[in-house]
Amino acid sequence: MIITIISMALVVGGLVFFLGASTGLIRFPDFYTRMHAAGKGDTLSSLLVLLGFAVYQLKDFQSFSENWLVLLVIVKLLGISAFILLTSPTSTHALMDAGWEDEVEPEIQKGRENHLNDDYPKF
Amino acid sequence: MLTKVFATIAVVITGGLLLYGVSDFPAFGDPHSPANAGVGNEESISQYFITQTYKDTKVPNIVTAVLADYRGYDTMFETVVIFAAGIAIFAILRVTGNEAEKKSIKPPLDSSINGDHQRIIVGTTCRIVIPVVQMFALYVVAHGHHSPGGGFQGGVILGASFILVAMSEDLNAALRRFSEKTYLTLACVGILIYAGFGLMCQFLERNFLDYGILQKVLFTDGPEMARSHSMLGVEVGVAFTVTAIMFAIYANLSSRGVLKNGL
Repeated sequence: MIITIISMALVVGGLVFFLGASTGLIRFPDFYTRMHAAGKGDTLSSLLVLLGFAVYQLKDFQSFSENWLVLLVIVKLLGISAFILLTSPTSTHALMDAGWEDEVEPEIQKGRENHLNDDYPKF
Repeated sequence: MLTKVFATIAVVITGGLLLYGVSDFPAFGDPHSPANAGVGNEESISQYFITQTYKDTKVPNIVTAVLADYRGYDTMFETVVIFAAGIAIFAILRVTGNEAEKKSIKPPLDSSINGDHQRIIVGTTCRIVIPVVQMFALYVVAHGHHSPGGGFQGGVILGASFILVAMSEDLNAALRRFSEKTYLTLACVGILIYAGFGLMCQFLERNFLDYGILQKVLFTDGPEMARSHSMLGVEVGVAFTVTAIMFAIYANLSSRGVLKNGL
Protein backbone atom coordinates (compact mmCIF):
# COMPACT_ATOMS: atom_id res chain seq x y z
CA MET A 1 0.00 0.00 0.00
CA ILE A 2 2.63 2.51 1.09
CA ILE A 3 4.82 1.44 -1.83
CA THR A 4 1.97 2.14 -4.26
CA ILE A 5 1.48 5.61 -2.78
CA ILE A 6 5.20 6.45 -3.00
CA SER A 7 5.45 5.29 -6.60
CA MET A 8 2.28 7.15 -7.55
CA ALA A 9 3.64 10.32 -5.96
CA LEU A 10 6.88 9.95 -7.94
CA VAL A 11 5.10 9.34 -11.25
CA VAL A 12 2.65 12.20 -10.72
CA GLY A 13 5.55 14.48 -9.76
CA GLY A 14 7.28 13.47 -12.99
CA LEU A 15 4.16 14.27 -14.98
CA VAL A 16 3.95 17.72 -13.36
CA PHE A 17 7.52 18.44 -14.45
CA PHE A 18 6.68 17.14 -17.94
CA LEU A 19 3.81 19.64 -18.04
CA GLY A 20 6.20 22.41 -16.99
CA ALA A 21 8.73 21.37 -19.64
CA SER A 22 6.19 21.33 -22.45
CA THR A 23 4.67 24.65 -21.31
CA GLY A 24 8.13 26.19 -21.31
CA LEU A 25 8.86 24.74 -24.75
CA ILE A 26 5.82 26.49 -26.16
CA ARG A 27 5.80 29.73 -24.17
CA PHE A 28 9.45 30.80 -23.81
CA PRO A 29 10.64 33.48 -26.22
CA ASP A 30 13.82 32.16 -27.89
CA PHE A 31 15.82 29.05 -28.71
CA TYR A 32 18.03 29.05 -25.61
CA THR A 33 15.29 29.45 -23.02
CA ARG A 34 13.18 26.84 -24.76
CA MET A 35 16.05 24.34 -24.69
CA HIS A 36 16.56 25.24 -21.03
CA ALA A 37 12.97 24.30 -20.20
CA ALA A 38 12.95 21.17 -22.34
CA GLY A 39 16.35 19.91 -21.14
CA LYS A 40 15.83 20.40 -17.42
CA GLY A 41 12.18 19.40 -17.29
CA ASP A 42 12.62 16.32 -19.47
CA THR A 43 15.56 14.99 -17.50
CA LEU A 44 14.02 15.36 -14.05
CA SER A 45 10.59 14.14 -15.07
CA SER A 46 11.91 11.04 -16.87
CA LEU A 47 14.02 10.25 -13.81
CA LEU A 48 11.05 10.64 -11.47
CA VAL A 49 8.76 8.49 -13.61
CA LEU A 50 11.38 5.73 -13.95
CA LEU A 51 12.12 5.80 -10.22
CA GLY A 52 8.38 5.54 -9.60
CA PHE A 53 8.31 2.41 -11.77
CA ALA A 54 11.32 0.99 -9.90
CA VAL A 55 9.63 1.55 -6.54
CA TYR A 56 6.42 -0.03 -7.83
CA GLN A 57 8.37 -3.18 -8.73
CA LEU A 58 9.15 -3.67 -5.02
CA LYS A 59 5.46 -4.41 -4.44
CA ASP A 60 5.82 -8.10 -5.26
CA PHE A 61 9.13 -8.50 -3.46
CA GLN A 62 9.00 -11.19 -0.78
CA SER A 63 12.43 -12.82 -0.47
CA PHE A 64 15.65 -12.57 -2.40
CA SER A 65 15.80 -16.22 -3.46
CA GLU A 66 12.29 -16.20 -4.94
CA ASN A 67 12.04 -12.67 -6.32
CA TRP A 68 15.51 -11.88 -7.60
CA LEU A 69 14.04 -11.28 -11.07
CA VAL A 70 12.24 -8.25 -9.63
CA LEU A 71 15.58 -6.88 -8.51
CA LEU A 72 16.88 -7.42 -12.05
CA VAL A 73 14.07 -5.23 -13.41
CA ILE A 74 14.90 -2.56 -10.83
CA VAL A 75 18.57 -2.64 -11.78
CA LYS A 76 17.63 -2.23 -15.45
CA LEU A 77 15.35 0.73 -14.63
CA LEU A 78 18.12 2.33 -12.59
CA GLY A 79 20.51 1.74 -15.50
CA ILE A 80 18.14 3.56 -17.86
CA SER A 81 17.86 6.39 -15.30
CA ALA A 82 21.63 6.73 -15.10
CA PHE A 83 21.86 6.77 -18.91
CA ILE A 84 19.24 9.53 -19.14
CA LEU A 85 20.87 11.50 -16.32
CA LEU A 86 24.13 11.41 -18.26
CA THR A 87 23.01 11.91 -21.85
CA SER A 88 19.97 14.19 -21.72
CA PRO A 89 21.74 17.28 -20.28
CA THR A 90 24.68 16.64 -22.60
CA SER A 91 22.49 16.56 -25.68
CA THR A 92 20.78 19.79 -24.56
CA HIS A 93 24.19 21.37 -24.13
CA ALA A 94 25.36 20.14 -27.53
CA LEU A 95 22.24 21.53 -29.19
CA MET A 96 22.68 24.93 -27.51
CA ASP A 97 26.35 24.92 -28.47
CA ALA A 98 25.41 24.21 -32.08
CA GLY A 99 22.94 27.11 -31.93
CA TRP A 100 25.62 29.42 -30.57
CA GLU A 101 28.06 28.36 -33.27
CA ASP A 102 25.36 28.93 -35.87
CA GLU A 103 24.91 32.45 -34.45
CA VAL A 104 21.33 32.12 -33.26
CA GLU A 105 20.63 35.43 -31.52
CA PRO A 106 19.38 35.16 -27.95
CA GLU A 107 16.46 37.41 -27.04
CA ILE A 108 17.74 39.79 -24.39
CA GLN A 109 16.01 42.21 -22.03
CA LYS A 110 16.65 45.86 -23.02
CA GLY A 111 19.69 47.30 -21.27
CA ARG A 112 21.21 43.95 -20.40
CA GLU A 113 23.04 43.30 -23.68
CA ASN A 114 26.42 44.01 -22.11
CA HIS A 115 26.63 40.97 -19.91
CA LEU A 116 26.85 38.75 -22.98
CA ASN A 117 30.21 40.28 -23.86
CA ASP A 118 31.74 39.66 -20.43
CA ASP A 119 33.48 36.38 -21.04
CA TYR A 120 32.09 35.06 -24.32
CA PRO A 121 33.66 35.55 -27.72
CA LYS A 122 31.78 38.07 -29.85
CA PHE A 123 30.01 37.00 -33.02
CA MET B 1 -4.64 24.07 -60.56
CA LEU B 2 -6.13 21.43 -62.84
CA THR B 3 -3.30 19.01 -62.09
CA LYS B 4 -3.96 19.41 -58.38
CA VAL B 5 -7.62 18.56 -58.89
CA PHE B 6 -6.75 15.43 -60.84
CA ALA B 7 -4.08 14.45 -58.31
CA THR B 8 -6.60 14.82 -55.48
CA ILE B 9 -9.14 12.69 -57.36
CA ALA B 10 -6.51 10.00 -57.97
CA VAL B 11 -5.44 10.00 -54.32
CA VAL B 12 -9.03 9.81 -53.08
CA ILE B 13 -9.87 6.94 -55.43
CA THR B 14 -6.72 5.00 -54.52
CA GLY B 15 -7.25 5.55 -50.81
CA GLY B 16 -10.90 4.52 -51.11
CA LEU B 17 -9.95 1.32 -52.93
CA LEU B 18 -7.35 0.50 -50.30
CA LEU B 19 -9.84 1.08 -47.47
CA TYR B 20 -12.40 -1.06 -49.33
CA GLY B 21 -9.80 -3.81 -49.61
CA VAL B 22 -8.93 -3.56 -45.90
CA SER B 23 -12.58 -4.14 -44.97
CA ASP B 24 -12.31 -7.69 -46.33
CA PHE B 25 -9.46 -8.55 -43.95
CA PRO B 26 -10.16 -10.63 -40.86
CA ALA B 27 -10.24 -8.63 -37.62
CA PHE B 28 -6.91 -7.96 -35.91
CA GLY B 29 -5.88 -11.00 -33.86
CA ASP B 30 -8.90 -13.03 -35.00
CA PRO B 31 -8.15 -16.64 -33.91
CA HIS B 32 -10.37 -18.08 -36.66
CA SER B 33 -8.76 -16.28 -39.59
CA PRO B 34 -6.96 -18.56 -42.08
CA ALA B 35 -3.59 -17.12 -41.16
CA ASN B 36 -4.02 -18.16 -37.53
CA ALA B 37 -6.23 -21.24 -37.65
CA GLY B 38 -5.29 -22.75 -41.00
CA VAL B 39 -7.60 -23.84 -43.81
CA GLY B 40 -9.82 -26.84 -43.04
CA ASN B 41 -7.82 -29.36 -41.03
CA GLU B 42 -4.51 -28.11 -42.39
CA GLU B 43 -2.24 -26.50 -39.85
CA SER B 44 -1.37 -22.87 -40.64
CA ILE B 45 2.24 -21.76 -40.98
CA SER B 46 2.08 -19.59 -37.84
CA GLN B 47 0.84 -22.58 -35.82
CA TYR B 48 3.78 -24.57 -37.17
CA PHE B 49 6.27 -21.88 -36.16
CA ILE B 50 4.79 -21.43 -32.69
CA THR B 51 4.72 -25.14 -31.88
CA GLN B 52 7.76 -26.45 -33.75
CA THR B 53 10.40 -23.70 -33.73
CA TYR B 54 11.91 -24.65 -30.40
CA LYS B 55 11.98 -28.35 -31.31
CA ASP B 56 13.55 -27.63 -34.71
CA THR B 57 16.17 -25.10 -33.75
CA LYS B 58 16.46 -24.80 -29.93
CA VAL B 59 15.98 -21.04 -30.34
CA PRO B 60 13.39 -19.49 -28.00
CA ASN B 61 13.01 -16.29 -30.04
CA ILE B 62 10.63 -17.32 -32.83
CA VAL B 63 11.11 -14.08 -34.76
CA THR B 64 14.86 -14.57 -35.07
CA ALA B 65 14.39 -18.23 -36.00
CA VAL B 66 11.97 -17.31 -38.79
CA LEU B 67 14.15 -14.47 -40.07
CA ALA B 68 17.55 -16.13 -39.94
CA ASP B 69 16.66 -19.75 -40.59
CA TYR B 70 13.27 -20.52 -42.16
CA ARG B 71 13.42 -17.33 -44.25
CA GLY B 72 17.20 -17.07 -44.52
CA TYR B 73 17.18 -16.10 -48.20
CA ASP B 74 15.08 -13.02 -47.47
CA THR B 75 17.35 -11.81 -44.69
CA MET B 76 20.46 -12.45 -46.75
CA PHE B 77 19.22 -10.27 -49.58
CA GLU B 78 18.03 -7.62 -47.09
CA THR B 79 21.66 -7.43 -46.02
CA VAL B 80 22.66 -7.19 -49.67
CA VAL B 81 20.18 -4.29 -50.09
CA ILE B 82 21.84 -2.43 -47.22
CA PHE B 83 25.24 -3.17 -48.73
CA ALA B 84 24.07 -1.91 -52.11
CA ALA B 85 22.67 1.29 -50.57
CA GLY B 86 25.99 1.97 -48.87
CA ILE B 87 27.97 1.28 -52.04
CA ALA B 88 25.62 3.53 -54.04
CA ILE B 89 26.13 6.42 -51.62
CA PHE B 90 29.86 5.76 -51.73
CA ALA B 91 29.85 5.74 -55.55
CA ILE B 92 27.83 8.97 -55.83
CA LEU B 93 29.44 11.05 -53.11
CA ARG B 94 33.05 9.98 -52.72
CA VAL B 95 35.51 12.36 -54.39
CA THR B 96 39.30 12.43 -54.43
CA GLY B 97 42.09 14.61 -55.79
CA ASN B 98 41.44 18.11 -57.09
CA GLU B 99 37.68 17.90 -56.73
CA ALA B 100 38.08 17.06 -53.05
CA GLU B 101 40.03 20.30 -52.50
CA LYS B 102 37.15 22.31 -53.93
CA LYS B 103 34.40 20.51 -52.06
CA SER B 104 36.00 20.17 -48.62
CA ILE B 105 34.19 21.87 -45.76
CA LYS B 106 36.00 24.33 -43.51
CA PRO B 107 36.60 23.01 -39.98
CA PRO B 108 33.92 24.22 -37.55
CA LEU B 109 34.27 27.34 -35.42
CA ASP B 110 36.60 27.05 -32.50
CA SER B 111 34.28 28.62 -29.94
CA SER B 112 31.81 27.07 -27.58
CA ILE B 113 28.95 28.40 -25.50
CA ASN B 114 30.77 27.89 -22.21
CA GLY B 115 33.89 29.66 -23.46
CA ASP B 116 36.22 26.69 -23.64
CA HIS B 117 37.58 25.43 -26.92
CA GLN B 118 37.69 21.75 -26.03
CA ARG B 119 34.01 20.71 -26.07
CA ILE B 120 34.77 19.30 -22.66
CA ILE B 121 31.20 18.42 -21.68
CA VAL B 122 30.29 16.53 -24.84
CA GLY B 123 33.72 14.89 -25.01
CA THR B 124 33.64 13.60 -21.44
CA THR B 125 30.10 12.25 -21.69
CA CYS B 126 30.87 10.49 -24.95
CA ARG B 127 34.01 8.96 -23.46
CA ILE B 128 31.88 7.47 -20.69
CA VAL B 129 28.92 6.46 -22.86
CA ILE B 130 30.57 5.05 -26.00
CA PRO B 131 32.10 1.90 -24.40
CA VAL B 132 28.79 1.10 -22.70
CA VAL B 133 26.93 1.57 -26.00
CA GLN B 134 29.37 -0.70 -27.81
CA MET B 135 29.12 -3.43 -25.18
CA PHE B 136 25.34 -3.20 -25.33
CA ALA B 137 25.51 -3.51 -29.12
CA LEU B 138 27.60 -6.68 -28.87
CA TYR B 139 25.10 -8.04 -26.33
CA VAL B 140 22.21 -7.31 -28.70
CA VAL B 141 24.00 -9.12 -31.53
CA ALA B 142 25.12 -12.12 -29.49
CA HIS B 143 21.81 -12.50 -27.64
CA GLY B 144 19.64 -12.01 -30.71
CA HIS B 145 18.35 -15.57 -30.78
CA HIS B 146 17.35 -15.57 -27.09
CA SER B 147 15.86 -12.11 -26.61
CA PRO B 148 14.68 -9.26 -28.85
CA GLY B 149 17.55 -8.05 -30.99
CA GLY B 150 19.84 -9.46 -33.63
CA GLY B 151 22.26 -8.44 -36.32
CA PHE B 152 20.42 -5.46 -37.75
CA GLN B 153 19.63 -3.82 -34.41
CA GLY B 154 23.03 -4.52 -32.87
CA GLY B 155 24.80 -3.36 -36.02
CA VAL B 156 22.89 -0.10 -36.01
CA ILE B 157 23.79 0.52 -32.36
CA LEU B 158 27.44 -0.28 -33.02
CA GLY B 159 27.50 1.98 -36.08
CA ALA B 160 25.83 4.75 -34.06
CA SER B 161 28.60 4.51 -31.46
CA PHE B 162 31.19 5.22 -34.17
CA ILE B 163 29.04 8.10 -35.43
CA LEU B 164 29.07 9.40 -31.85
CA VAL B 165 32.88 9.36 -31.91
CA ALA B 166 32.78 11.37 -35.13
CA MET B 167 30.35 13.87 -33.63
CA SER B 168 32.04 14.31 -30.26
CA GLU B 169 35.54 14.78 -31.63
CA ASP B 170 35.65 15.04 -35.41
CA LEU B 171 35.46 12.81 -38.44
CA ASN B 172 39.23 12.36 -38.60
CA ALA B 173 39.28 10.89 -35.07
CA ALA B 174 36.58 8.41 -36.01
CA LEU B 175 38.37 7.51 -39.26
CA ARG B 176 41.58 6.82 -37.35
CA ARG B 177 39.68 4.11 -35.43
CA PHE B 178 37.52 2.87 -38.32
CA SER B 179 39.17 3.77 -41.59
CA GLU B 180 37.63 3.72 -45.04
CA LYS B 181 39.54 0.58 -45.95
CA THR B 182 38.33 -1.15 -42.78
CA TYR B 183 34.68 -0.37 -43.23
CA LEU B 184 34.55 -1.29 -46.88
CA THR B 185 36.28 -4.59 -46.09
CA LEU B 186 33.98 -5.22 -43.13
CA ALA B 187 30.86 -4.62 -45.24
CA CYS B 188 31.99 -7.24 -47.76
CA VAL B 189 33.16 -9.68 -45.06
CA GLY B 190 29.74 -9.54 -43.40
CA ILE B 191 27.93 -10.67 -46.53
CA LEU B 192 30.64 -13.25 -47.22
CA ILE B 193 30.06 -14.73 -43.75
CA TYR B 194 26.33 -15.00 -44.40
CA ALA B 195 26.72 -16.46 -47.90
CA GLY B 196 29.54 -18.68 -46.64
CA PHE B 197 27.20 -20.35 -44.16
CA GLY B 198 24.83 -21.01 -47.04
CA LEU B 199 27.55 -22.28 -49.34
CA MET B 200 28.98 -24.56 -46.67
CA CYS B 201 25.61 -26.34 -46.54
CA GLN B 202 25.82 -26.86 -50.31
CA PHE B 203 29.27 -28.41 -50.03
CA LEU B 204 27.76 -30.87 -47.53
CA GLU B 205 25.14 -31.82 -50.14
CA ARG B 206 22.16 -29.94 -48.78
CA ASN B 207 20.23 -26.89 -49.97
CA PHE B 208 21.64 -23.38 -49.69
CA LEU B 209 21.20 -22.08 -46.09
CA ASP B 210 19.92 -25.44 -44.78
CA TYR B 211 21.91 -25.18 -41.55
CA GLY B 212 21.01 -28.55 -40.01
CA ILE B 213 23.76 -30.38 -41.88
CA LEU B 214 26.40 -28.09 -40.38
CA GLN B 215 26.49 -30.36 -37.31
CA LYS B 216 29.28 -32.18 -39.14
CA VAL B 217 31.38 -29.03 -39.19
CA LEU B 218 30.36 -27.44 -35.89
CA PHE B 219 30.54 -30.75 -33.93
CA THR B 220 27.19 -30.24 -32.18
CA ASP B 221 24.90 -32.89 -30.71
CA GLY B 222 22.30 -32.69 -33.45
CA PRO B 223 20.96 -30.57 -36.28
CA GLU B 224 19.02 -28.37 -33.79
CA MET B 225 22.07 -26.92 -32.08
CA ALA B 226 23.80 -26.58 -35.45
CA ARG B 227 20.90 -24.41 -36.64
CA SER B 228 21.07 -22.33 -33.45
CA HIS B 229 24.82 -21.71 -33.79
CA SER B 230 24.53 -20.97 -37.51
CA MET B 231 21.90 -18.34 -36.74
CA LEU B 232 24.36 -16.66 -34.38
CA GLY B 233 27.04 -16.74 -37.07
CA VAL B 234 24.69 -15.28 -39.64
CA GLU B 235 23.66 -12.52 -37.21
CA VAL B 236 27.32 -11.62 -36.73
CA GLY B 237 27.70 -11.31 -40.50
CA VAL B 238 24.65 -9.04 -40.72
CA ALA B 239 26.00 -6.93 -37.84
CA PHE B 240 29.35 -6.45 -39.65
CA THR B 241 27.68 -5.19 -42.80
CA VAL B 242 25.18 -2.93 -41.04
CA THR B 243 27.84 -1.37 -38.79
CA ALA B 244 30.15 -0.63 -41.68
CA ILE B 245 27.45 0.75 -43.96
CA MET B 246 25.92 2.94 -41.20
CA PHE B 247 29.27 4.57 -40.58
CA ALA B 248 30.09 4.78 -44.30
CA ILE B 249 26.84 6.63 -45.01
CA TYR B 250 27.44 9.09 -42.16
CA ALA B 251 31.08 9.69 -43.09
CA ASN B 252 30.34 10.31 -46.77
CA LEU B 253 27.26 12.47 -46.21
CA SER B 254 28.71 14.64 -43.44
CA SER B 255 31.90 15.50 -45.32
CA ARG B 256 30.39 15.66 -48.87
CA GLY B 257 32.46 12.63 -49.82
CA VAL B 258 35.84 14.16 -48.98
CA LEU B 259 36.23 12.22 -45.70
CA LYS B 260 38.03 15.16 -44.11
CA ASN B 261 36.92 17.61 -41.41
CA GLY B 262 33.20 17.08 -41.91
CA LEU B 263 30.70 18.20 -39.30
